[in-house]
Amino acid sequence: MKKNKWLLLLAFVLIISLLAACGGGDEEEAPEEDDETEEGTGDDGGDDGEETQPEGPVYGGTITGAMHTAPDGQFNPIFYETTYDSNILSFTHNSLLRQNDNLEYEPNIATEWEFSEDNRSVTFKLRDDVYWHDGEQFTADDVVFTYRSIAHPDYVGAGGQRSSYAAQLVGFEEYRAGETDEFPGVVAEDDFTVTFHYKEPNVTALMHSNFTPIPEHIFADVPVAEMPEHPASQQAGEVIGTGPFQLASMIEGQEYRLEKFEDYWQGEPYLDAIVWRIVNQDIMLSLLETGEIDFIGDPSGFQPADYAMVEDMDHITIIEQRDFGYQLLGFIHNYVPEEDLEEGVFVPENYIENPRISNPQVRQAIAHAIDREALIGDGPGDGLLHGRGELMNAPIAPQFWAYDDVNPKEYDYNVDLANELLDDAGYIDVNDDGFREDPDGNEWVLTMVYPSGNEIRERSAPIIVEDLEAVGIKVDLLSPFDMSAYTGALTETKEFDLYLLGWSLGTGDPDPSGLWSADAGFNFGRWYNPEAEELRIAAVTPPDAFDQAYRTEVYSDWQVMFQEDLPALILYAQNMLFAHSNQMQGINPSVASFNRDNHLWWLLPEDN
Amino acid sequence: MYQYIIRRILIFIPMLFFLTVIVFALLKAAPGDPYSRILDPEISAQDLEDLREAGGLNESIVVQYVNWVTAATKGDFGESFRYVGRDVSDLIMSRLPNTIYLSIFALAITLIVAIPIGIYSARNPYSPLDYFATGFGFFGLAVPNFFFGLVAIYLLSVKLGWFPAQGYMSSSSGDGFAAFIDRLHHLVLPGLTLGLASTASYMRYMRSEVLSVLGSDYIRTAKAKGMTERTVLYKHTLRNAMIPIITLFGFEIGALVSGAVITEGVFTFPGIGMLLIESIGTRDYPVIMAITLLLGVFILVGNLIADILYSIVDPRIRYD
Repeated sequence: MKKNKWLLLLAFVLIISLLAACGGGDEEEAPEEDDETEEGTGDDGGDDGEETQPEGPVYGGTITGAMHTAPDGQFNPIFYETTYDSNILSFTHNSLLRQNDNLEYEPNIATEWEFSEDNRSVTFKLRDDVYWHDGEQFTADDVVFTYRSIAHPDYVGAGGQRSSYAAQLVGFEEYRAGETDEFPGVVAEDDFTVTFHYKEPNVTALMHSNFTPIPEHIFADVPVAEMPEHPASQQAGEVIGTGPFQLASMIEGQEYRLEKFEDYWQGEPYLDAIVWRIVNQDIMLSLLETGEIDFIGDPSGFQPADYAMVEDMDHITIIEQRDFGYQLLGFIHNYVPEEDLEEGVFVPENYIENPRISNPQVRQAIAHAIDREALIGDGPGDGLLHGRGELMNAPIAPQFWAYDDVNPKEYDYNVDLANELLDDAGYIDVNDDGFREDPDGNEWVLTMVYPSGNEIRERSAPIIVEDLEAVGIKVDLLSPFDMSAYTGALTETKEFDLYLLGWSLGTGDPDPSGLWSADAGFNFGRWYNPEAEELRIAAVTPPDAFDQAYRTEVYSDWQVMFQEDLPALILYAQNMLFAHSNQMQGINPSVASFNRDNHLWWLLPEDN
Repeated sequence: MYQYIIRRILIFIPMLFFLTVIVFALLKAAPGDPYSRILDPEISAQDLEDLREAGGLNESIVVQYVNWVTAATKGDFGESFRYVGRDVSDLIMSRLPNTIYLSIFALAITLIVAIPIGIYSARNPYSPLDYFATGFGFFGLAVPNFFFGLVAIYLLSVKLGWFPAQGYMSSSSGDGFAAFIDRLHHLVLPGLTLGLASTASYMRYMRSEVLSVLGSDYIRTAKAKGMTERTVLYKHTLRNAMIPIITLFGFEIGALVSGAVITEGVFTFPGIGMLLIESIGTRDYPVIMAITLLLGVFILVGNLIADILYSIVDPRIRYD
């Protein structure tokens, strides 16, 4: 009996080793796999045997892109959470409008729009030649259905997070509370006309009306609470959009294959398929070099440290552009009193001043003491960004008309000036320990915190501390927090003075209220400047705010005030770095995305 | 014997229960919740509050735990917070096979390589191969997993093209035997990487155990009786030398599952390890709880198997 057990074990081991040998024996076949990718492209080259370069785009071909993190697998525009999912959705779905390089709205699957006299309503005319992937026609009812879904009482409970798109529509509260079945906020006038009715004249109505529609004919019978589980939200072949590509198949966590939608309203896409592979960041570039992947685009691009390496690849083109977002060194102006924390409210009038950093001169001195250009660096091997970043002097994305690059104060690196400002403010080293004391002669230590997760930001923390110590400011740098713990700590702790954080900015509208209004949860420094508040509100208050020139002016004043008062010093904006093989043609990134006009991407036939 | 197994399994149950209590308490003691990582001004505070309410996060810890346990005993591990609309069990089942394949493969490599070399080294100490094996052992223990993985990818995949660099299967794998071979092909690099360190340590253990057994009295007696080298080696030496290896093996089953995190990351091999780390980062506690429970079961079962193997290897050990 015992012998048998041994035999069994041995047999098991043998089988495994045999299988292992099989795996090893596969070696010779492996190179074929490499060829396969080339073959896919080579096939198209076979069409024209001559040595001529085709003049224009040709149909056919498959390209492979890489992302370093897998999507969560929620491919419903009203429920997805990550940028990786949204990257896939940008191929499979369309929204009513698109934005040009000045971020002005342009027709997309809506052809035109008109505001009512009182600016409370906006009416869109929709194209009548747009079809869903399953052949159904796209109509105004789909738009109405989408907004009814995100305003639905069960939407948030099901995991939805985008009700803010519907929140300003007429009847939202009543409908969401379940008091009525009527939702008069969005109305289909006819098959191809839809009107949004807002409670107040809405300056950002276009942004709020531009939510990506989902197909009513698929989801009509699905209760909102069950939508996220529905196959049409998750499974390849079942996800239905109006975009140029459809999600045809996937190996979860590894590969997502998008195939062209022939009846796409802007014409049949040139490429047969786009394959997204999930690839570890450390080997992404090796695969780019060998041609196993053809491009690295949204959402992350490649790392600045690798710029020189990619530049050396002859068959690769680099696209570098400004990103929407910035990294900041925040100043904790105020704290939230305990009672308000318990109630979970932010009432600016109740904020308690943080005396360690309440003097604006101190903040300005800190701004002058930090060598922001050194953080960015001059070129390969220099700084944290290897030169692939930009300075920003106001917290509005520079791509917007609202960004003012002239008037807001620019804090150049100036140690002497920093010292002078601190001396002036009375912060002087009275006990000769090398660090300044506060004006009363007490010890003055600033506590700095930062989150983990962004390597470059993590590395910037000690550099900033060094810069500050160079002007005699003693800084206590705490060890990094993980992101889930960070926001809570920033909100509740009363010992912090400086914090690092990065923001990605929306492309819909430059309104900075979400991050910098006095009562915004994300205004972690609890910056409260009544004058700035007035400006910020004026910039979105109708009727004046319907005039873009007016908004530009008001935002300019707001930005000047921001830089003067310094709720935060904007450290740098890391550039977006995309790379694609030279075989890929028709790449036309917008200021916000690599993926624009992907139906026009085409592949140069090989062997030419 | 069977009584013993049943008794052991019954003891598992309270152990697993305590495990879940401790893990749950630790999770809840950590700051943040599944929604505190959401930093998006587009999401209103009211929505976040409603999300927390709907997810039961506003209940007291005790109520949350009781809710979880009640559902879990019925086999319902709830829905993931991070993966909207995904059942935890569904999520784990989509990852678990990958991890199991990887672990078995790594374990097989470990045993196949480590045991024979360990024995050889012990029988021929200070021979060139022994020195080589010793050197390899230190190398294997010293080289970090991810680094070995990256080098392996660079040399064997990018440069030589022998093995796929990433993932666990190819899209055009076909089915049946071809698919099986395709999976194995994808397993080679991550399997080697994962198995490297344990191979090295098993080899060292095996060598020293066999060496010490070879010097013991009963081996001398056996040799004196005129038994052949083979019989002495396989019947007397190995059996005794295997006991510590089996102890290691019992722990290894649990460790392989949780220890695959880094390897899975390097090879974008979607398995349990990566899921666990992601879930901890996002405080996705239904997933963390379910995986912890699973790991607990794995480790306990591993130890049970080890116990049973003891009795096979060492006749002196009897369970009744």
